[in-house]
Amino acid sequence: MSRRRERAVLALLLAPVTLYLGVFFLVPLATIVVFSFLTPGLYGGVEWSFYHWNYGRIFGWADGITEVFEPVYLRILGRSLGFAALTVAICLVLCYPVAFWVSRLPERWRALFLFLVTLPFFSSLIVRLYAWLLILRPSGLLGEGLMALGLRSTPLELLYTPVAVVLGMVYVMIPFMFLPLFAAIDTLDRAQVEAALDLGATRTQAFLKVVLPQTLPGIAGGAVIVFIPSVGNFIVPDILGGARGLMVGNLVEQQFLAARNWPFGSALSVIIMTVVLTVLLVFVARLRARGA
Amino acid sequence: MTIRTVAALALAAALAGGPAAAEETLALYNWGDYINPEVLKRFTEETGIAVTLDTYSSNEEMLAKIQAGATGYDIVFPSVHMQDIMLKLGLLEKTGISAHPDFANIDPAFLRSKEDPEGEYCLPYAWGTVGIFYNEAVTGPVAGWADFFAIPEKTGGKISLLDDMREVMAIGLIMNGKSVNSTEPADVRAATDYILAQKPKVTAFTYESMALLASGDLAAAHFFVGGNVFFTETPNIRYVIPAEGATMYQENICVLASAPHKENARKFLEFYLRPEIAALNVSQQFNGTPNVPANGLTPDFIRQNPNINVPPETMARLQIFEDLGPALRAYDRAWNTIRTAQ
Repeated sequence: MSRRRERAVLALLLAPVTLYLGVFFLVPLATIVVFSFLTPGLYGGVEWSFYHWNYGRIFGWADGITEVFEPVYLRILGRSLGFAALTVAICLVLCYPVAFWVSRLPERWRALFLFLVTLPFFSSLIVRLYAWLLILRPSGLLGEGLMALGLRSTPLELLYTPVAVVLGMVYVMIPFMFLPLFAAIDTLDRAQVEAALDLGATRTQAFLKVVLPQTLPGIAGGAVIVFIPSVGNFIVPDILGGARGLMVGNLVEQQFLAARNWPFGSALSVIIMTVVLTVLLVFVARLRARGA
Repeated sequence: MTIRTVAALALAAALAGGPAAAEETLALYNWGDYINPEVLKRFTEETGIAVTLDTYSSNEEMLAKIQAGATGYDIVFPSVHMQDIMLKLGLLEKTGISAHPDFANIDPAFLRSKEDPEGEYCLPYAWGTVGIFYNEAVTGPVAGWADFFAIPEKTGGKISLLDDMREVMAIGLIMNGKSVNSTEPADVRAATDYILAQKPKVTAFTYESMALLASGDLAAAHFFVGGNVFFTETPNIRYVIPAEGATMYQENICVLASAPHKENARKFLEFYLRPEIAALNVSQQFNGTPNVPANGLTPDFIRQNPNINVPPETMARLQIFEDLGPALRAYDRAWNTIRTAQ
């Protein structure tokens, strides 16, 4: 009786989220997968007949008549993955020491600092990226500032370069890396570090054998949360990249709008999801293995 | 462009949250910054019909939303080729606007829709050109595309093109002497090669060029005639319709088949037939109007600028986009190649 009741309560508690995810996550996901195997409609939308060329033109089995294979799509995907990985690496290097420093601050200062990290969320991403456009343009704050300080003699050529795109993505993603890192570092058992040092470990050894393994979950969490939205990001390359460094997110957007090719856009989306999921599974499995 | 989409969505959300009034309403779905707010104010003052305005940034964005079943909009402003597509898809309502006595104000040359040659569905709204804005103090005189692409080497100034597949491909087609609607693979290839050859000189493909032109970060930019609105006080920044040829656009006011307020929509079309209303729009938008008497009512500096109030000999070198049908695929591939080339 009580077990049956427990089950009923559990079902009741799980029902809302299951329904919600079922309707708003699984159905759209299934739609994307199904659309990616359909024939593109002439004016957008789809025609309900099987069509595998959406994948063929990406992976190379297109016949050259119905669809043409072009390596450009794989290259764009590769570039997006590279940019995302770089964003993760830079965010990690920047955030790790800061998270340590903040975890050592007195309680009141810590609260203030955490508030400052989340402050950007209070304004629109688009507005903030336009602000970066104003900073990065040759006659902008950064360029003029460096010239006024005598650090540069020629105007800064950053805007509309891949550097600007990565810079913008790092800026957007820093809070997402910082918060999980901070959570892990804050709960670090400092007694263990002291014990390691007392027992003759060098500082490097103590870091590698004690600190790093304990903060690994935070690193993994931050890396995952930063990597996923970075791969598909299209706003940053749009505004700061001047559409010269096309990323896969821009490509998907273009397929659904200007090119009116929904199935091809869906196929690209399915591939992004598959690649991201695979990369993450391998990454997490490796971390687990090392952590264990 | 995405940014405007987000802004439009935010606006839509804000509007959706408003109080449900019992008064008469009309819901417009238009390009961003493509109607003088004063026109809407006047309409409301005269008719008592409250107007809401949502915006989109491309024909395809609007079509995708209407196709996906967005309801609640009464009036859309498609380009001519998109009007043809929407008519083929049965998305537009017949208004019989051409039977109105004031329709005589409309120059028949602007009845460009192939599917609606008599104007029984839509009212020709506005038209304009896509050309070159340049900072004459930096670039010297610029007459056309050849001068434009020579700017970086000659002066060190930077240039930008629109982030728009059809507009950029059109430059390549024009420079090869082809139609901007060519579906010949050889023409598309030649146009692609031309643009690829220019690409190293192009700093960016972007819609955000006007602010950078004003700040001096760009020396010249490919943009719509409406950009003139930013440069009324800056005589060194000039607009030219390229000598080799250029594209023009024309949008029409159409009523959706799904419109909830068809009667109010018809009133708006009739209101917009009046020359003083069309002229009021031009005085803020800087584009052309098909309303013949309205052209005599616009401010002097617009009426006397041959790059805005275009004479017939310039008109002759303008081309308008048509739908490419299946050939759109070849353009899309070319555009990806152009954007990823190093």
